[in-house]
Amino acid sequence: MPKVARLHAILWGIFSVGGFIAAFLLPVLIYIVGIAYPLGLWPISGQDPTTSILNHHHLGTLFLFVTVAGSLYHGIYRFQSTLTELGLARAKRALEALGYLIVIVGILAAAYYLLMLNPGVLSLP
Amino acid sequence: MSKEKPFPEYKRKLGPGWWLANSHFTQYMIREWTSFFVAVFSLIYIYEPSLFASGAKVDALNLLRNPGIIAFNVLALLFTSYHALTWFYLIGKIQPIKMGKTTSKPWQALLVNILLLLIVSFAVIEILVLR
Repeated sequence: MPKVARLHAILWGIFSVGGFIAAFLLPVLIYIVGIAYPLGLWPISGQDPTTSILNHHHLGTLFLFVTVAGSLYHGIYRFQSTLTELGLARAKRALEALGYLIVIVGILAAAYYLLMLNPGVLSLP
Repeated sequence: MSKEKPFPEYKRKLGPGWWLANSHFTQYMIREWTSFFVAVFSLIYIYEPSLFASGAKVDALNLLRNPGIIAFNVLALLFTSYHALTWFYLIGKIQPIKMGKTTSKPWQALLVNILLLLIVSFAVIEILVLR
């Protein structure tokens, strides 16, 4: 398989995994953090959900990182492809470059801040 | 060998509104736009731990209570759920399972995965939020 095709296959594979993560894990995160907490709906009572999730050190941090990183990659990859289908085909290379920049910076930032909030996550449970 | 093609290549030009031509294209485009909400929510949510980590927890929580952000989150949940449902249906179409003489249908994959989604969501709430 040519190198470019192999790289494309790997990137598509990650995109697909991100699609599963966005389908199975993102809806519940949006609900508890973005809707249930500010509106005081079930199951939130008092403490904000991000703190509750991070209190479960390893599992909570892993859940937040996997959900946000996987969804970000999937969302950006698919959205830049959508923009090329909406008349921005000429800017495909620029959109791809911008997309990967956002993905890399976003994932590194998520890892950095989650590690700052839970430095013990790197040690074994 | 000459690189010239023996016949002129016809390149169909599509305008930005091609997806309004029929309902299948429109559905496709709505499905693709779910990615906008998935990506933007992820970026907003990455911003929140950054505020937590820099000691601005109150600002982070106030951001979540902003009516504009809540409205966006409601839309994001709707579009993400639509992404989930169409993704589950596609799994059934792309990878049908053969059992003896019968082959699974896409709607069966949809139902099984909706059930899985509910189990995963309740597990996350039970283990990470309520405990």
